[in-house]
Amino acid sequence: MTRHDAIVIGAGVNGLVAATVLARAGLDVCVIEQSDRLGGMATLSVDDGPELAHLVHNLSPRVRRDIGLDPHRWPFRQTALPTVALDESGRHVIVTRNAVTFADGTAHPDARACLALTARLRRYGELLRMLAEAAPPGGDAPLASARGLRQILRLGRFGLGLRGLGRAEARRFLQVLLSNAYDLIRDDLPEGPLAGMLAADAVRGIAQGPRSPGTVFTLIHRYGHGGVAALPQGGMSAVVDALAQAARDVGCTLRTGVRATGIQLQDDRVCAVTTASGETLLTSRVLVGSGPRLAAELVGAGAFDIEAMRRIGRIRARGVAAKVNLRLDRMPDVPGLNADQLRGRLVFAPGADYVEAAFNPAKYGEMSDNPVIEAVIRDEGAIWLSAVVQYAPSDLNGGWSDAARAALARRTLATLGRAIPGLDARVRETQVIAPDAIAAATGAPGGHWHHAEMTLDQILTLRPANGIGRYAIGPRGLFLCGASTHPGGDVMGLAGRNAAREVLG
Amino acid sequence: MSERTSFDAIVAGAGHNGLTTAAYLARAGLRVLVVEKNDWIGGAAVSRSLHDGWTYSNCSYVCSLFRREIARDLDLPKYGLQVIPYEGGASFTRDGDYFAYYSDHDALRREMARHAPRDADAYARYSQAIMRQCRFIRPFLLRDAPDPVAPGPRDIGELAYLVRKAHDLGARELGETLRFWTMSIGDFLDDHFENDLIKAHLAGSGIIGTGLGVYSPGTAYVLLHHYMGDIDGGIGAWGFARGGMGAISDAIGAAFQAHGGVIRKGAGVERILTRDGRVTGVALEDGAEFHAPVVASNMDVKRTMLEHLAPEDLPADFRRAVERYKIRGSSAKLNIALDRKPAFPAAPAHASFLRGDLHASESLAELERAYDDWKIGEISARPYIDMLIPSQIDPTMAPVGAHMMTVFVQYAPYDLAVDGVRSADNWTEAQRARLASIVLDQMQVACPDIRDRIVHMEVRSPLELEREVGLTEGNIFQGELTFDQLFFNKPVPGYAQYAMPVRGLYLCGSSAHPGGGVMGAPGANAARAILRRETRGRRMKGYAA
Repeated sequence: MTRHDAIVIGAGVNGLVAATVLARAGLDVCVIEQSDRLGGMATLSVDDGPELAHLVHNLSPRVRRDIGLDPHRWPFRQTALPTVALDESGRHVIVTRNAVTFADGTAHPDARACLALTARLRRYGELLRMLAEAAPPGGDAPLASARGLRQILRLGRFGLGLRGLGRAEARRFLQVLLSNAYDLIRDDLPEGPLAGMLAADAVRGIAQGPRSPGTVFTLIHRYGHGGVAALPQGGMSAVVDALAQAARDVGCTLRTGVRATGIQLQDDRVCAVTTASGETLLTSRVLVGSGPRLAAELVGAGAFDIEAMRRIGRIRARGVAAKVNLRLDRMPDVPGLNADQLRGRLVFAPGADYVEAAFNPAKYGEMSDNPVIEAVIRDEGAIWLSAVVQYAPSDLNGGWSDAARAALARRTLATLGRAIPGLDARVRETQVIAPDAIAAATGAPGGHWHHAEMTLDQILTLRPANGIGRYAIGPRGLFLCGASTHPGGDVMGLAGRNAAREVLG
Repeated sequence: MSERTSFDAIVAGAGHNGLTTAAYLARAGLRVLVVEKNDWIGGAAVSRSLHDGWTYSNCSYVCSLFRREIARDLDLPKYGLQVIPYEGGASFTRDGDYFAYYSDHDALRREMARHAPRDADAYARYSQAIMRQCRFIRPFLLRDAPDPVAPGPRDIGELAYLVRKAHDLGARELGETLRFWTMSIGDFLDDHFENDLIKAHLAGSGIIGTGLGVYSPGTAYVLLHHYMGDIDGGIGAWGFARGGMGAISDAIGAAFQAHGGVIRKGAGVERILTRDGRVTGVALEDGAEFHAPVVASNMDVKRTMLEHLAPEDLPADFRRAVERYKIRGSSAKLNIALDRKPAFPAAPAHASFLRGDLHASESLAELERAYDDWKIGEISARPYIDMLIPSQIDPTMAPVGAHMMTVFVQYAPYDLAVDGVRSADNWTEAQRARLASIVLDQMQVACPDIRDRIVHMEVRSPLELEREVGLTEGNIFQGELTFDQLFFNKPVPGYAQYAMPVRGLYLCGSSAHPGGGVMGAPGANAARAILRRETRGRRMKGYAA
């Protein structure tokens, strides 16, 4: 029987980061992954189609530093993509960090208002990043302990950061923080593709509409690291390769094709992980990358008090984003867009009301008639249009049958066709990865991007649930390290990094 | 003797909050004038006789939130205020069943077990959680909301109080509290119950008066806003004011006049007068002017600032924030004179719960769909209705044998969509008739003979509410009860303590903390702020001080 200081279950982005941070502190760490590839949800793909995640926008420099990579740059190239807010009449809007124009280069009447709004979101994002880069405040640490003092210091820094916004801006921040994205956007921008694009960004991957309070928070989350969407060269595999290399460099053992079947306890303390192949890996610390439900299943519900189990059972995680990949015979012609613009981040959300209307059916277990779509078209040998399509709820009425997937593909094509005429004639192959398939392949609860809904009652210390908000869960030595913990998912790595630091104490 | 035109303070609008402010000021010895545009007082807490022999509580219709501290301070029972609690309620279904809510714990448990045995067990946990939140919030209602950004000494005191109260909860309960405050009533109920009908019955209070659906985060707080009141110490209990809701306003008005206050009806404010950044009085629509160094506006913040003050009177940032204040009409009202009590075939004859609040929504999904309709400017196809027959308990409301029914309806948009155009002008007679018909259809789930019982019916869309009472867009709370407009953000950040940017101008209506409902707290708190800031040596006396 082998013994490790820590075992990480799941080699997703957060699992890899957590393992590396632990190993850098001198621990002997083993990562076990049930599938035969690393990267979890980020790199999930069908055959040679595009990966589930196609863009990065929240890669954390803090994580890069803490896993021992070059503190100034990632070991892969990234191309910042402009956002193209698609318009049915061909008046597409191009949005970059510093400019908002029509695709033909003419000035956009709402450019100033839009840039001012995104600049504010960026500032708010910087502020909230202070909270994201540490375990959430709260917990039972006595005020006089070192941990308690660290927390007070951190909150104090946050308070100073708030003051740094200036009085008027601080007031606005505290006003909108818990509010809904729809009002925030529509207070400054008229209805249209720009408002729609921001509304779509506010709800991407979450089971909320832009009118739902709390979506300003998720919109700020998108702007937590500047808000620029970037395409990593080599795709998400390049990102995951870099993270895996960092793990190996510090001596982590990465094992794929190893499925954990149980976590053994001794005196209410973790002592070993058993695997499907009958192995027993001895350890005193286990970090689980998937949600708390899997952790509880592996340990056995008996190790948790009844209230904790009830809370774990009540965590909301309905995935609503599906992936639709279309292989095209050649680059499509989009009236009003040149070849470079066509390679941007294409967003089809003609208005904030459109996004809200797309959300309505999802509440009742139906997919959107007219979905909200974020797409990128890549020409690397084969031409793939990679689209995140929302809303496609994991608990679809009748289940995700072949017919349901075909219906989603049809609606996706019809919707994109409104801005990209003739697209359906270009399609040679269609892949639909619905939330149920994401859940099955990666263990992500509900196939949800963040493993647990990003609503105000499930963030910070309440993430994923009250009482388990600081990574430790259940018996001693057991921790969560995935997207279901603070500060949530995206290819960001902060959850894993924070969890590892919490393990180290 | 010529009429007095100079006062210590003028209150614009004789709603229950304006009258409360006025009464506290008069009680402290100030000479106070209340001006009211209507020929009656009460604002939205009013009793009106629109059909001979019947009295309608034609806006607000039940009472619970009114702070007992205020009733004691102003000695309101002496002036005729009598609140009679009602017990129970029910939700009826299309297939002829019902869920009855009893205030008797054992009866409720049995009724819940009839529908879902596990829900009967869950109810203890649910009601405990709600009650804990009620206890937590109640002390804050008559306190000022502290300014967290630029705190003065008093703010620091209030913040310390808040921190202490939060700390007293302990880590676990604090977590539950934060969770409760930020979650939707739908999710909260899903956490506890299984049965659709039970959830639908309990969810109503989470959406009444707001432009939110049962699954919108923040609606659990809205529920709390409806539960944090009490009647004679029975927290969460609701009742009827004898003689209709106007009895509350009348009693406060009488207390005010007993302290020497003057009420001038039919006297709508045209302009709030200012000179050198300070209020000097009000000019009425009839041209009369009255002067005072203090003006307290009972009107909502939008109406006060945007319609009765010139743009140059206000800081640009403030005005912009007020323009963005969310005050959305989402509810309508039917007031019905009945020839006799309608039949409720599903319920046992003489069932006690028929004296309570009756509904006809069967599931949270149905309620959420009603919200979806409203979002796009439609009247809900199957609206949430909250109907009561107060004349069963208060015989003064209708002739002997006849009855009066009040039906609150949600959702009905202010800017109704017709042929793709959203406008309040679309509320034509035909549209109001359509609204009434939709509501009556829904009511027939509970009482199929309702259409035959109608002697007279008043249909009030959000537009009528705006026109008559003056509530912008017909929003019953003078503003949405969302996080961006609560506590220190109410009505706009930096101005949560009743004093407005024009010196001497105060807000005393439901736009101010702690918000809407026939509560009186904004009025009492505003009076306290006025006395502290504008008068030397005079302090508010009483329980609410």
